[in-house]
Amino acid sequence: MLSFLYARQSGLDDPVRLRRAESTRRVLSLELNHNRDVDRIHGNGINTLDIEVIDGRYMLSGGSDGVIVIYDLENNSKKPQYTCKAICTVGRSVCRHVHKFSVETVQWYPHDTGMFVSSSFDKTMKVWDTETLKPAEEFQFDGNVYCHHMSPVARKHSLVAVGTKDPKVQLCDLKSGSRIHILQGHRGEILSVRWSPRYDHILATASTDSRVHIWDVRRASGSLFTLDQHNGDKSKTSSEAVNTAHNGRVNGLCFTADGLHLLTTGTDDRMRLWNSATGENTLVNYGKVVNESRKGLKFTVSRGCSPEFVFVPCGSSVAVYGLHSGELITMLRGHYNNVDCCEFHPDYQELYSGGKDCNILAWVPVLRQPDIEDEETNSKRGGTHAAINPAFEDAWSSDED
Amino acid sequence: MRKQLNKEVAVFKSRMNRKRALIADTFCLTKRRRCAADSVTGESQADIRSSLQYLVTLFSRKLFNDSLPPVVLKHQLYSLHNDKTSVDKQVVRSDCNKCSTWDSVQSHFIIITLMHSEALVFSFPRQNELRETGELLMFQLGFDSEAFALVFAEDYRAKVLQGEAGRGTLGTVEKFLTKLIPSCSDLSFNKEKMLKEFLFTDSEITQLVKSGVLTVRDAGSWWLSIPNSGKFIKYFIKGRKAVLGMVKKSKYGEILQTELEGRRTTSQVKFQMKYHIHDIIGAELVECIQTTSGTLLRYVDGNVN
Repeated sequence: MLSFLYARQSGLDDPVRLRRAESTRRVLSLELNHNRDVDRIHGNGINTLDIEVIDGRYMLSGGSDGVIVIYDLENNSKKPQYTCKAICTVGRSVCRHVHKFSVETVQWYPHDTGMFVSSSFDKTMKVWDTETLKPAEEFQFDGNVYCHHMSPVARKHSLVAVGTKDPKVQLCDLKSGSRIHILQGHRGEILSVRWSPRYDHILATASTDSRVHIWDVRRASGSLFTLDQHNGDKSKTSSEAVNTAHNGRVNGLCFTADGLHLLTTGTDDRMRLWNSATGENTLVNYGKVVNESRKGLKFTVSRGCSPEFVFVPCGSSVAVYGLHSGELITMLRGHYNNVDCCEFHPDYQELYSGGKDCNILAWVPVLRQPDIEDEETNSKRGGTHAAINPAFEDAWSSDED
Repeated sequence: MRKQLNKEVAVFKSRMNRKRALIADTFCLTKRRRCAADSVTGESQADIRSSLQYLVTLFSRKLFNDSLPPVVLKHQLYSLHNDKTSVDKQVVRSDCNKCSTWDSVQSHFIIITLMHSEALVFSFPRQNELRETGELLMFQLGFDSEAFALVFAEDYRAKVLQGEAGRGTLGTVEKFLTKLIPSCSDLSFNKEKMLKEFLFTDSEITQLVKSGVLTVRDAGSWWLSIPNSGKFIKYFIKGRKAVLGMVKKSKYGEILQTELEGRRTTSQVKFQMKYHIHDIIGAELVECIQTTSGTLLRYVDGNVN
């Protein structure tokens, strides 16, 4: 660590390297911390979480009871013990515009926190004004809305892609309120939609027909290409499964932060990494990623680390895999019931996960222990495992630079 | 608040060791760069071959009266090697030569600068994939879309010709094998390919199906298969079920691997215990936990057997 600091100071190394190394170290030491807690508001399972992009301060959560809660993640109390308070709630008794059934997806407006969009099994998608907590716009659909997504980089358009029970992907325009743009190609329910974080016109959709389509929304014709798990080698599989991304329903999509790779999960208990430009399967083998979700699975990828990590809810724990190596790093155990969603906070390298046990857990990197000379402070702290300490001492002493 | 049992602590500690190694790696990145060229890939390829040979010895030839070549399943290799992706890369033919992962330290990078300051980056995989060189054949067994069987090409050829000796179909089968083994690594063939590329006639194709080298996949396409492998699949599935049942019935649904190897096999289990153990570990039908008394195998709920 000292060598990294010296190299940065003297200009031998790029400043990014130190940041990346430290971010990676922090992600590898994620743990439940008894100092950090999130207010428990939901009475039913939590389906979705979203942290706003601008400040990373406010987090939205949507629950199975239709309730939406906004939390403040920042710790201004000057004490290490902190509970993330719920600032406001769109609750059942308080608000008459609340969703009738479970909220499946929530997302902050990517450019400021004045607005957020939520979609639910009551076949509506509502665009909320954060100040008044009233919906500014409501879109009605014919079937359950499984997911929606707004492009995080788009400046020229404000399209929301919506995946419902209908095999047609609908694009709703927030500027005009119209939703005439339809993407046809799937043959089953759309379980997940995701815009690329690199290009504002590229959209990926995943469906129960085992296929993932990549679309360019500016084109009038069909999808750009479909992801094929065998990379065109038709001989490997039975003829019905040709040109499919998974051998079961595809229920999770996530782009990496640079938008160059796409991760998909399916009910065949597999997770696959694809090159998002060519649609080629990189054949990274993550092993068995247990997936029994009938709806979409919300998982996330770390940002700013090297190597990157994937956090996937697996049963009642969150599995952490190395993105390109496919190796299972660790399982984060702490929930009492199934985990449904997880969200990574890139500035503090924290992970928030929510599940059926109505808890949102905050996984916080373990702080470095003070030196052995300060014995008093050591005895005061307690709690954190001594196993971390020798690791960093070893790293320091082995660096001869 | 969240207490852990002794075994969980052992798991935790082993995970911490791995994390420690990863953390140490992150900060020792500069040292790695200065290391001499990695001989890791050369070693790992030799490793795969030696693991395959080891697994071949576990296969019971006498059970089938020596009519089957030794069959190893691809996921049995996962139980011997940690990195599934590198095992796949060496065993499964990759269609393109381009490197699609960002951090493969093990490939050469050759950068050719063209005009207009463009550069092409080529990466050549250092190891020859075993299937590219025609040493290894892969088959789709049929009972699981993810289970692939691997057979050494010489063994396969020898056994097939041995089985065909004295039959009228010998000539066609020999012709097929000479076409197949050096160059082709497909798992299935469709009619066009058989007629145009391999120049077989319809009657010859029927002969191949009769001899067992091809099995019907669909109208007009065939899987490559091992003759007389039906018995193998039957015994294999029964044995797998029996071994998993042994693990499930143990106290707490878990058993030490050494203890399981020492157990007496029932009449359902025809293969060697170790063969089945590698299979269930590699297919992740049991969870493998490192403890201070050895590897513990814990039955994973939700298996469709």
